[in-house]
Amino acid sequence: MIKVSGLVKSFTQGKNITEVLKDVDLKIEEGEFVAIMGPSGSGKSTLLQLLGGLDSPTNGKIEIDGKAISEMSENQRTIFRRKNIGIIFQNYQLLNNLTVEENIAFPLYADGTLDKEKMKEVKELIQAVGLNELNKKQANLLSGGQQQRVAIARSLVNHPGVLLADEPTGNLDRSKAEEILLLLTQFHKKNNQTIVMVTHDIFAAGFADKIILFKDGTIEQIISREEENYAQYLANFMA
Amino acid sequence: MLNIWRISWRNITRKKKRFVLTLLAIIMGTSFITAMLIADRTTKDVFDYYEEMYTGNADFWILSDEHTYPEEIIDTVQNHQDVDETLMALDKQTFLDLPGEYSDSQLAVRITGVDNLNSNLLKLPVVEGELDNEGLVIPETVADLLHVDVGDTLSFREMGEVKISAIVEYTQLLSSPGSWERAASSSFRMMAPLDLLQERAGLEGEISYIRLSTLGNDEKLFRDIQEELSDTSAFIQPVVADDRQSNDVEGLYTFFYLIAILTMFISGFIVFNMIYTGVIERKKEFAIMKSLGYGQISISRLILMEVSFIAMIGTIIGVPIGIWLGDLFMMTLLGIFEYDMVYSLNWFMPTVISLVAGIIFPVLFSMFPIYSAGKTSILENLKMGANTGPNGKVHWIRYVIGFGLLLFLFIDSPVSYIGLILSVVILSPLFLKIFSMLIKPIILLCMGHPGRMAISNLNKQLYRNANTAALLSVGIAVIILLGALSDAAPENYASQIKANYGGDVRLTAEKPWSASDLDRINDKDFVESSTLLTEATPITWINKDMHLRQFSIIGVDQNSLYYDDFNYTSFENNDTLSIILGERAFQEWGGKIGEDIFVHTPEGTKPFEVIDVAVTSHYSGYVAFMDEEQLSHQFGWENSFDLLIHLDENATEESVRNALWSEFGGFLSKVIFVEDEIASTTSAFEGMNELIQFMLVLVILLASVGTANTLIMNTFERTSEIGTMRALGFTILQVKNMVLLEGFLIGLAGVLGGLLTGLCLLVVASNSALIGDFVTVYLPVESIILTVAAGILLSLIASWISSSTASKIDIQSSLKEG
Repeated sequence: MIKVSGLVKSFTQGKNITEVLKDVDLKIEEGEFVAIMGPSGSGKSTLLQLLGGLDSPTNGKIEIDGKAISEMSENQRTIFRRKNIGIIFQNYQLLNNLTVEENIAFPLYADGTLDKEKMKEVKELIQAVGLNELNKKQANLLSGGQQQRVAIARSLVNHPGVLLADEPTGNLDRSKAEEILLLLTQFHKKNNQTIVMVTHDIFAAGFADKIILFKDGTIEQIISREEENYAQYLANFMA
Repeated sequence: MLNIWRISWRNITRKKKRFVLTLLAIIMGTSFITAMLIADRTTKDVFDYYEEMYTGNADFWILSDEHTYPEEIIDTVQNHQDVDETLMALDKQTFLDLPGEYSDSQLAVRITGVDNLNSNLLKLPVVEGELDNEGLVIPETVADLLHVDVGDTLSFREMGEVKISAIVEYTQLLSSPGSWERAASSSFRMMAPLDLLQERAGLEGEISYIRLSTLGNDEKLFRDIQEELSDTSAFIQPVVADDRQSNDVEGLYTFFYLIAILTMFISGFIVFNMIYTGVIERKKEFAIMKSLGYGQISISRLILMEVSFIAMIGTIIGVPIGIWLGDLFMMTLLGIFEYDMVYSLNWFMPTVISLVAGIIFPVLFSMFPIYSAGKTSILENLKMGANTGPNGKVHWIRYVIGFGLLLFLFIDSPVSYIGLILSVVILSPLFLKIFSMLIKPIILLCMGHPGRMAISNLNKQLYRNANTAALLSVGIAVIILLGALSDAAPENYASQIKANYGGDVRLTAEKPWSASDLDRINDKDFVESSTLLTEATPITWINKDMHLRQFSIIGVDQNSLYYDDFNYTSFENNDTLSIILGERAFQEWGGKIGEDIFVHTPEGTKPFEVIDVAVTSHYSGYVAFMDEEQLSHQFGWENSFDLLIHLDENATEESVRNALWSEFGGFLSKVIFVEDEIASTTSAFEGMNELIQFMLVLVILLASVGTANTLIMNTFERTSEIGTMRALGFTILQVKNMVLLEGFLIGLAGVLGGLLTGLCLLVVASNSALIGDFVTVYLPVESIILTVAAGILLSLIASWISSSTASKIDIQSSLKEG
């Protein structure tokens, strides 16, 4: 479970202080697939970075599975992240000089836990994302869709409880985006991971159980896919 | 309006650390070049100055193969219509009469009496007092050692007291030991008025030589005097400014230029790296500029301006540092020679050359990036964004050329060294690839995943990393070669001196050795055998460039003890006038064996066939050998002033020295043991060795600036990648270790490559006919330990700079960049 309380994040540039997140409170249950939407600069990506421990909040508390990552040192956050959180980036962020297999196994390398058993899992993951023919190919030689599949496999390799996805389909066309989202949903159902996905795309958000709408650094509304006026509200908000 | 200089400044300082390191490389490169050029020119000036001081304005001198000759012999010469000025001189050996416990050898002094101390044919730079033609003139080193001043008197055995009139700076005519230790093997030298010396020495009307300047008709005068003196023991020789017999500094100039070229090469590479990476990073910017109407030339010009700008800043800072460094270098260098030589820094032309070179060499090294910037493709770069640069693929043509260049190793020429160094640079990517493959298991075992990433990164920027390692390799290889040369040279010189010195001790007298002198010598218990050495000096000759030179000709016969390296039978089998040249004399002459060398004899200039080249330690090879009979016949040289003695094995140096000085001190001018000769030849090497090590540590330092520069560029280029690694769970320590390891591996590859190349250079050098005698395949352990330690340590320091940069990379912003 992810629990965020009184979260504030501000950036200082010279004498100007910009508050990107303003006293955000949020709770995401274990196994939920949540999409965060909002206009540019609304603070959604900042929230995702704070959840991933890539940055520390100015104020407030973030707990993941009972662990207050907002109170951890940078090193502790790094170690927590590689064991408990998977991240998928919009521009894939693969390590170009590594092969598909090496990219996927990277978090295990970093953790020093790669063994034969884990390597078998890596190969299974490669198969699961449909790249078994390409496992020895260098990452920069793959198409955008293939690279994002590698990124998804990489985010899952440590069996993280939480998966954070920042615009995972932002660079893909509709058919490739659908493939990726179906893949994510498939893994979500299989592993019961908590997924937090930041997106601009209503189509992508439609795959989530719950949508958090962000505006000016605060949560405007949280709506569930089950709600009656879900689609209409979403369209109005994004417009 | 856009200020192009301001934009250039903004562009070059965009990456601060890279800018500082590149500037540092240019500063170091320019200052080294300046310092070496200054050292080269100033050293030449110093030797020219002292040579000129020694020769004065004299055109000819008349000497004799006897100690002295009567003044009346040259009466007519003095009155010759073409003679402008003359200076008569008499050399007399005596002893200082000093209280205290000094041996005779330490007190030996040679006084030169001249008839006019103010003559234009003599240059005595006075420090204190006056050249009043009444008292003694002594060099500053002697005044300091004896604690005497102008107006004090010095006492001489059997010659009484003489007042000191003047103290002068170092000059070759009065070159004297500066310590009592050195005084044991070489005499003090002083000057006095001729009449005073003649009177005190009981040699009234006698002189050793006369110097003269002419009114211009040199050839006629030379012929006239030759004719005039034909029936006497005296002979005329032109005065030639050639001191190659007493110093061998050509090797030093080669060393200066080697260091300068090496530093320029390394600095140039660093500049190339910086500009090339900058261009690759800015490809998108250039594409935008091109899309807005900038042409290829305009973009290339922009980069050219940036390079010129940084080169100018570096040069302006580097040149003054270079002048200071040059001064420091000169002080150290002249300190090695143990004489109080004065110098004035010849800085003007070196400064001008360095200013031009300092701006031109970075531009030259940046020509490819400048061209590449102009060739930026709009479509490719606007569509794809910045490229990451060259990949790590190995190109076989490159390696064919690299291995081909190794064939130069079989050619005995200086070109083979250049070929080897070029092949090191060309083959370095292959070497690094193989090296990383071999070391990978060890690195994985010790360092885990950061090690795996470090190896992977090495191969990612294979060419850049390999070039960086190659720079270090070249620096280290040169250190090993020079280290071996300076380590082995004293030993080789020592064995060569021992082999052809001709005895254990050489006695030089100021009068020819008589038969009774020889009997007395041979009667001594400590003498096993003795042989006379006939040395005609100075003999002038003409080299192939028609310049006058001078050396000594040593007379040899079948029983001579003092030659090993050439075949005496060459003389016997030759009916013509023949001569054997020492190596350096042969090089300076510039001809081939079988050709004639023209030598001035008392009967005029005569051709002598050069029948062989001798490897000899006599005058470091700036000497000639001639059959003794021929020497006597052609030069009228009947007498021997030198005697070589083989000592009994129980004789001790001190007792022999004291016995010789006390019995023959009245006419002995030098007693030089083979050990003295070895010590004086090799002492300069020890000083040079330290200087070489210091200079070459600086070269490694510069190479490390290159390593730091390369690693910082690697880090900057991988900002997004490192951000991703951090996002995926790489800790700061893991990132630091990864970059440190990269630097360490580059350093280690450079050091290993350098050791390998250094060994190859040693093998080539030791097989070379040119320098093989002074190089053995021998590991200069001290130099190797120093370079390996310095190479690895400085690489680690260099990588620490970029590892700390890498560890500070902000994850969020680096992910945005990606």
